[in-house]
Amino acid sequence: MSTWHMDDGLAVRYADGELNPTLAASVEAHLLACDRCRSLLAPRVPRSRLDRVWAEVADAVDTPTPGPFEQLLRAIGVHDHTARLLGATHSLRLPWIAASTVALLFAALASGETTRWGLLSYLTLAPILPVAGVAVAFGRDGDPAHEIGLAAPYSMFRLMLMRAAAVLTSSSALALVMGLGLLGDDWTVAAWLLPSLALTSLTLVLSSRFDPRHCGAAVAATWLVVVVATNLREPSLAMFGGAGQAGYLAITFVSGVLLIARRREFS
Amino acid sequence: MIEAAGLVKTYGRGRALDGLTFTVGKGVTGLLGPNGAGKTTLIRMLATVLAPDEGELRLLGRDPAGDRLEIRRRLGYLPQEPGYQRGFTVFEFVDYVAILKEMVERRARHDEVRRVIEEVGLTSVSGKRIRTLSGGMRRRLGIAQTLLGDPELILLDEPTVGLDPEQRLRFRELISHIGQDRAVVLSTHQTEDVAALCNRVVVLKAGRCVFEGTPEEIRALAEGRVWFSAEKSGVLSWRTGDGLFRNIGPAPEGARLAEPTVEDGYLLLLGGTAAEAAA
Repeated sequence: MSTWHMDDGLAVRYADGELNPTLAASVEAHLLACDRCRSLLAPRVPRSRLDRVWAEVADAVDTPTPGPFEQLLRAIGVHDHTARLLGATHSLRLPWIAASTVALLFAALASGETTRWGLLSYLTLAPILPVAGVAVAFGRDGDPAHEIGLAAPYSMFRLMLMRAAAVLTSSSALALVMGLGLLGDDWTVAAWLLPSLALTSLTLVLSSRFDPRHCGAAVAATWLVVVVATNLREPSLAMFGGAGQAGYLAITFVSGVLLIARRREFS
Repeated sequence: MIEAAGLVKTYGRGRALDGLTFTVGKGVTGLLGPNGAGKTTLIRMLATVLAPDEGELRLLGRDPAGDRLEIRRRLGYLPQEPGYQRGFTVFEFVDYVAILKEMVERRARHDEVRRVIEEVGLTSVSGKRIRTLSGGMRRRLGIAQTLLGDPELILLDEPTVGLDPEQRLRFRELISHIGQDRAVVLSTHQTEDVAALCNRVVVLKAGRCVFEGTPEEIRALAEGRVWFSAEKSGVLSWRTGDGLFRNIGPAPEGARLAEPTVEDGYLLLLGGTAAEAAA
C-alpha cells in the first residue's frame, strides 16, 4: 500500500482540471484505492463540474448505440444529428447498397464481354442507380415519417437535398470503384457521371410536383428508351461524347435553377 | 389557440371543407364527424401541412401563411397513419423527430427525448426496435413525439383507431393527462372517446361545423327523443339485447323514455347521413 497522499494544492489543481494528463491519470489511479484522498478532494470539486460530468456519463450510458451506417458517418466527421437524418434513408442502408453493387457488378461483367453493346450497358445502368436511390429517399412513400416531418420546422427541401447528395455520392463512389476496378482506367469508364447528375436533378425537380417514385421511374424509363433508340442500329458511345456531356451539364444547370425556384413545394 | 372562419378546401370538384367556422381553446377538443366529413383535411390544415383555399385561420395567435415556422415550433402532430422507420429503436425515432424540431444540441436533445419517452411510459422499451412493439405501444410512441419541446397545441388524428379496449383506456388516461395544461385537438368518429375525454366538441358534417359546444350539450340535444319500444320507429332504430328497439326521434306508441348519450345527440345532428349509413 502506498504511503503517498495528495496535499491540498494538488487536490485543488486536480479539481480545477489544471494537471497534465499523465499526472491526472496517476492521481485518478490513486483515488480509486484511497478513501482519505477522496474525502480530501470531494469538497473541492465544483458542483457544476460534477453535474456536467455526470450528465455526460448518463447520456453515454443511456443512449442506444447507433447503427453501423450512422457510426460510419460520424467517424468521417458528419454531425450526429445529420447522421441520424441520413440514417433514416432507405437507399443509404446496407440492403440497398448491396443490391446496387450486384446490379453494377453484372453490368460491369456484361460490359467486359465483346458484345456490340460493350461499355454502353455499364454507362447506361450507372446513372439509373442514383435516380432510383433518390426517388425512394424522401416523399410520402419513401420516408415513413414524412407527414410528421411536414409539420416540423426543419426544412423538407434541405432534408431532401441532403439525402439526394448522400445517395448520389454513395452510388457514384460505388460505380466509380466498380468501373475503374473492372473496366480499366480510361476516362470513358466515368462518362456516366454527368448523366447521373442530370437525371437525378431532373428527378428532383419533377418531384416538386409529382410523387418522387413515379418521377424516378419515368426518368429512368425515358433514359433507357433514349439510349436504346439512339443505339439500336449502330451502338456507339456518342451519347457520352463531348456534345452529350455538354447537354447533360445544361440539363443539370436548368434543373438546379428550377429546383431552387420550386423549393417551397417540398414543404 | 385556434380561430377559424369560413375555411374552404377543394379537391377537384369536391369540397372537403365548406366554409368551416369554429374556435378552440385550452383543454381537449374533439372533432367528431363521419368518414369524409373533412376531419383529416382540417387536422392537416391546423398542422400547417395544408393551406386553406379560402377563409381565415389563426393558430396560436399567428397567421400560418406568414408564420408557419413559428407555429410549427409550438405544435405537436400525430397523423392518422403515422409512419415509423421500423428499423429504428424507440429512442432513435423520437430523437429523429427531435432533430426535425430543430433540437440540435445533442445532450439537451437526448434529455428531452428521454423525458417524453418516460411521460408516455415507454422507458422500459426505449432500446427496442419499433417493429417489435405492439399497436398500443406504437400509438404511445406517436404521442411521445408530439410532446417534444412541450408544445402548446397538440393535434391527434384518429388516435384510438385499432386499439383494443384496455389500450384505449390507457390512451385516454394519457391524453387527459397531456391535455391538462395545453390545447389538444383530436379527431375521431368514436363518441365514447369524446364523452370520456373532451371538454369541448366540434361536429363536422360535409365540411361544415354543425355543432360546437360541450359533450353534455350534445347529449342534451337528444333529451326526450330517445325511446325504448316493442316496434321499430324514429330516424334511427336498433334492437337491443333485451329485445326492445332503441329509437331516436319522435316517440312511438307505448314507448318508454330512455336516458340519452352523446352518441344519440351526435346521431340526431347527423340526421339523414346517419340514417343512410345505418341503412
